[in-house]
Amino acid sequence: MLIRTENVTKIYELGAVEVRALRGVTFGIEEGEYVAIMGPSGSGKSTLMHILGCLDTPSTGRYFLNGTEVSELHGRALARVRNQEIGFVFQNFNLMPRVDLVANVALPLVYHGGINRADRRKQAVSALDSVGLGHRLKHRPNELSGGERQRASIARALVTEPSILLADEPTGNLDQKTGREIMALLDELSAAGKTVILVTHDSNVAAHARRTVEIEDGAIAREGRA
Amino acid sequence: MNLLESVGAGARDMASHKGRAVITIIGIVLGTASVVAVLSLMRGGEKQTEDFFDEMGGLREVRITNTHSHTLFETAAERASERLTYRDAQAIRRECPSVLTVDPEITRFLTVSYGEKTFQMKLLGTNRDYPHADNMPVAEGRFISDKDCENYANVIMMGPTYRDDLFGEEEAIGKTITVQGIPFEVVGIMQKKEFYFEGSGGSDRNVLEWFNRSHYIPITTMIRRFTVNDRLDGLEISAVSLEAVPALIEEANRVLLRRHGVEDFNVESKSDQIQQRNEQEAFFNIIFWAVAFVSLFVGGVVIANIMLASITERIREIGVRKAIGATGRDVFMQFLVEALVVTASGGAFGLLLGLGLVAATDKLLNMPTAVTPGILLIAFACSVAVGVIFGLFPAIRAARLDPVEALRYQ
Repeated sequence: MLIRTENVTKIYELGAVEVRALRGVTFGIEEGEYVAIMGPSGSGKSTLMHILGCLDTPSTGRYFLNGTEVSELHGRALARVRNQEIGFVFQNFNLMPRVDLVANVALPLVYHGGINRADRRKQAVSALDSVGLGHRLKHRPNELSGGERQRASIARALVTEPSILLADEPTGNLDQKTGREIMALLDELSAAGKTVILVTHDSNVAAHARRTVEIEDGAIAREGRA
Repeated sequence: MNLLESVGAGARDMASHKGRAVITIIGIVLGTASVVAVLSLMRGGEKQTEDFFDEMGGLREVRITNTHSHTLFETAAERASERLTYRDAQAIRRECPSVLTVDPEITRFLTVSYGEKTFQMKLLGTNRDYPHADNMPVAEGRFISDKDCENYANVIMMGPTYRDDLFGEEEAIGKTITVQGIPFEVVGIMQKKEFYFEGSGGSDRNVLEWFNRSHYIPITTMIRRFTVNDRLDGLEISAVSLEAVPALIEEANRVLLRRHGVEDFNVESKSDQIQQRNEQEAFFNIIFWAVAFVSLFVGGVVIANIMLASITERIREIGVRKAIGATGRDVFMQFLVEALVVTASGGAFGLLLGLGLVAATDKLLNMPTAVTPGILLIAFACSVAVGVIFGLFPAIRAARLDPVEALRYQ
């Protein structure tokens, strides 16, 4: 099992008020699965995504990723897990505006460390090729369409060959046609064996996954398989 | 991310925010320039003091003076001591291996006449080492020689100031004048000696004019004709080299202590005197430093302020960097290096501006200045230090941002 959570909770303290964003989530994801985590805003799905993506740690409960208990990790170690195990795809792409696509895609390799400039460049170019942007290497994000930017963002997520691709509303900022193209690309990656987790409130997007996990009020409400 | 990449990234970021970078740099440029200007002014003042002492005889010189007992009653040994004498001077010349010149002096104000003209003049009894020890060239004729001293010769070397008053257009060398009624032959005229301190309103006063108004006769003649004993008013000796000065001080101390039996003298080098003078000037240096420090501090505050603003502007970017694997240390280094790139380039421009300021001060205000590589190095180091100190807080703030909060930030 690639991902396993045991009774994960997350409690925020906002002044005197305690907000229980997650109330005990237990589930698992196998390697190569294509999963959609669904739920309306405020349901706790973003909190769950942050914990699965190692951006945050659970208040209680345990989280195993690839056999390691990452709920025990902090700071540097957690940054290393994010760098090597997780590829983030954001709703609004979050590319660095002032550098070209190669530099953007190579950035995770810079933080990886121990890879020289030429190798980083080679791997970035190959990742951009694999998402169909081999002809846009020297362009800056603002010179590209929304679809191309999201492809670049996927290339950046893939470049470290992570265990998981974690896509947060990947089509949220795209028109329908471009959104379908991006979903087709994610489908392809899943078909090639990549573990893909979609976080979305859009059932059309979730329909691409072979399994859905619905979060409501901080807990898993339903699970379904296609 | 290694340091070279960080520097490259910092430089690129600066280039892409030209307006911000320029404002940030101005503060550092002014601060660095003022450090250069201040240090150059201070160094200029010190150098002028050194030049002054050099003109007065150089740094190899050691001055020996009588000191007075600090107790109410003199001890028997003190009473018995003859104080510094011409015989002491001869003993030093004989016994100190490190000594180059020995210049004993006895000063008297005496009546000098030539024909109808009569003046009260200052006469120094000395020997051939005087012009050497005090770095004084001869304009006409010659100085007092060893032979003059051996023979108790009635010869006089005159300072330039009274030359025209006494002799007008006439040839001075070979003329006979009288000192207290005793005939003396004029054998030489000294060259005029000048030194003006720049700035501070005193630039028209020749501080070495008293040299020009002094005349010289053999010290042996002075002792035989005009004094009751051979006690000296001053004794200046010089070492064979600058390095030999400490050895000479020790040797002279030993010889004099043996001869006097009591330490009623003081042996002091010129460089000690310069150091004392510099210590007196330290107060003014503090004011200079305060000005430079305030300028650099203001520059630093501007940097910290603008960097904090730039961090707010880049919170999302920091979040993304952390999401894809940047550690707190990576982010910290990125922002610190950016601050350093800004301050180092500001420091470089500041050096140029500072050199300009120094040149302008030299030309327009007629103040003494001196720029050394050390000054430029210190000023540049100050600007970099400001970058580190004021870049630290914003960089720590950026490093500590929570990635979830940062990604959510709009």
